[in-house]
Amino acid sequence: MAYWEMIFYWVALVVYSLSCGGFLYSFIFKNPKVMPRMFTLLAVGAVAHTIAIGARFEATGHLPWSGHYEYALMGGWFIICGTLWVGWRNKQLQGLAVATLPLVIIMMGYGYMQNPGLTPKAASLKTIWLYIHVYFAWLAFGAYSLAMAAGVLYLKKKKNLQQPVPNPSYDRFPSLEHLDELIFRYVVFGFITDTIMMAAGSLWAKDLWGGYWNWDPVETWSLISWLTYGITIHLRVTFGWKENRLAWLAICALSTVIICFFGVNLVVNTSLHMFQVR
Amino acid sequence: MLDKLLKYLRSLRFTIVLIALLGALLALGLWVPQKSLLKDIYFQWKTQSPQLVAWLDFFQLTSIYTSWVTVTLWGLFFLNLSLVMWQRIPLIFKRIEMPEARIVDPETGGGYVFRAAYSVAQGTDEAGMVNALKKRGFAMVSNGSGFYAVKNRLSPIASVLFHLSFFLILLGGLISFYTEFIGFVDLAVGEPFDGSLAQYNVTPSPKLPKVGSLPRVAFTVTSVKPQVVRNTPTGITVKVKETSGAEHVVDINKPLSTAHSSFVFKHLGVAPLFVLKDPSGREVGGNFFKLDVVGGKADTFRLGDFIFTARYYPDYQFKDGKRSTKSMEFNNPTFFLVAERDGKKAAEGDVPLLGGLNLVDGYRLEMKDCPYWVRFYVIKQRGLSLVYLGFAIASIAVIWRLLFYRRELVGAFREKNGQRCLVVAGKSEYYKKLAEDEFAKLFAELFGPPLAG
Repeated sequence: MAYWEMIFYWVALVVYSLSCGGFLYSFIFKNPKVMPRMFTLLAVGAVAHTIAIGARFEATGHLPWSGHYEYALMGGWFIICGTLWVGWRNKQLQGLAVATLPLVIIMMGYGYMQNPGLTPKAASLKTIWLYIHVYFAWLAFGAYSLAMAAGVLYLKKKKNLQQPVPNPSYDRFPSLEHLDELIFRYVVFGFITDTIMMAAGSLWAKDLWGGYWNWDPVETWSLISWLTYGITIHLRVTFGWKENRLAWLAICALSTVIICFFGVNLVVNTSLHMFQVR
Repeated sequence: MLDKLLKYLRSLRFTIVLIALLGALLALGLWVPQKSLLKDIYFQWKTQSPQLVAWLDFFQLTSIYTSWVTVTLWGLFFLNLSLVMWQRIPLIFKRIEMPEARIVDPETGGGYVFRAAYSVAQGTDEAGMVNALKKRGFAMVSNGSGFYAVKNRLSPIASVLFHLSFFLILLGGLISFYTEFIGFVDLAVGEPFDGSLAQYNVTPSPKLPKVGSLPRVAFTVTSVKPQVVRNTPTGITVKVKETSGAEHVVDINKPLSTAHSSFVFKHLGVAPLFVLKDPSGREVGGNFFKLDVVGGKADTFRLGDFIFTARYYPDYQFKDGKRSTKSMEFNNPTFFLVAERDGKKAAEGDVPLLGGLNLVDGYRLEMKDCPYWVRFYVIKQRGLSLVYLGFAIASIAVIWRLLFYRRELVGAFREKNGQRCLVVAGKSEYYKKLAEDEFAKLFAELFGPPLAG
């Protein structure tokens, strides 16, 4: 890691952890006033996170888009930016951070334990397809993460409404009907970007490996993930699956994406997708 | 009975069952080592657990992506898709029509989730309303009783396109499969390639096309320049010259693409020119030997009566009594050779470029040159353009369908409590709340706040 990258990486991680703690406090101790402050703190963390990415870019000369560490660094940034974007546009959605922040903290911690060393850009990654493919992959992951977060909020809010004395923290969030639609919208956005990611990946694969589809474990798992979200959309549009069922689908479907990005390489060391770039 | 079967085959329930089964099979393929993808692991596993592997082989679980179960499921998937399309295409075209029958009473018309009334100035008529909505992208139909407006009227066509793109990908995939040639060829700098089957590597054996011919390409590799920064390969420049005189540069991510064929760089090796001299200094043999030694592997070659085992150090150093390479950069390429004759060691030592190794009985081996050789993965397929077209259509269609969704409005001008007002009702695909907000904003811009109640 570059010197300033390491400093700001840790600053971001610490600030995210504080912010996450604040959001949890707000929920558990029924203190909704804390939430906007934690959201501001989250924005501060995002600034540090951005500087860490910039410092790495300065040191390596390329965007950090390969290897587990860099995936965690950039992926976490996309998810945080998504959370900030929706929370800025709609203050009622600031609480999504309570679900996305733990995911980002775990991702960044895991990434740090993998391969944070500075490496020149591998030859296989020197193509414009890298940016298209990975950018859309992260947009998809960010959107699916927000769908999961909205799903968690939906279920928690619904449960809260059934309590004899509801927690007022949940009043800050959009109505159940609105949250239900948001889950679907995030899934749709993710599905679109996922589709573009797969198409771009196939075109790249043709040039790099000679075939547009190689049944590589990561490819196969991304197809499984795409099919899962395709089913989710069909279930919603055609079968009218909404509310609890859609929320649970959004939460569970995220596991396929996490397996695709991080899980496959844990159990398989033969993937053409060399996330462990050396 | 047949009707019932057809009904099930074209149902969405069946689609979901098929997708779920395909997903499960694909996931299974990640756990069970696949013959075609993980040959070494598969054969190692087969040696260790022959009975289990035989059982899995019998059920084609070790070649799951091409097993009859998977192929059948894909077949059923496309059958299902065809039947659904057959049924839905007429409905979709009917849906995008704009008959006057769509104009319903905005106060009682069913299915509309947004309903509001707005006070309008006396004299405001449907023509003005039509213009205002048309400016905002709505298609309109109106009569004396009211109007019907729809935004993104043609959006359902995107559903057809999205599903048709699957057929294009399937068709492209099938054409590719039947016209596919796959082979590997190792070519050193200066070595001509004439496209004949004999020039391809024997192992793995070339996959010949069921329809069509081998790639009709002839060229010579004119130079190879690998680039390595520390231990990371950052690029390779392979220059080739076709017999027609056309020159190309092949790099990673940049194959030689010509005549429906791709020559993809796969592997780098060195092809040293070793010369064997007798005790009088006369050359008694010599050749370029394509050695697969980059990355620390050992390889052997025979020259005269000698068999040499070679190890290669691209950035040679001798430190603490051990040979190693400082980096993967090709700064100081040196071989460590062990020579044998008649099963006995004849000599061993380091051979740098233009250096040599003294052997038994006054013989000497010299390295005169050390160019590279490259392994190309050669693939010829037709039908790829259909696959790419399918990808493009799928991407465009999914964006079109899910982002440019239909919003429908019905409205009528009425007199209420002596006041002229516009009564409207709206509905949308997929995003009810979003559309409600959009309708409220649209009419607020045109007529101000809605009337209470």
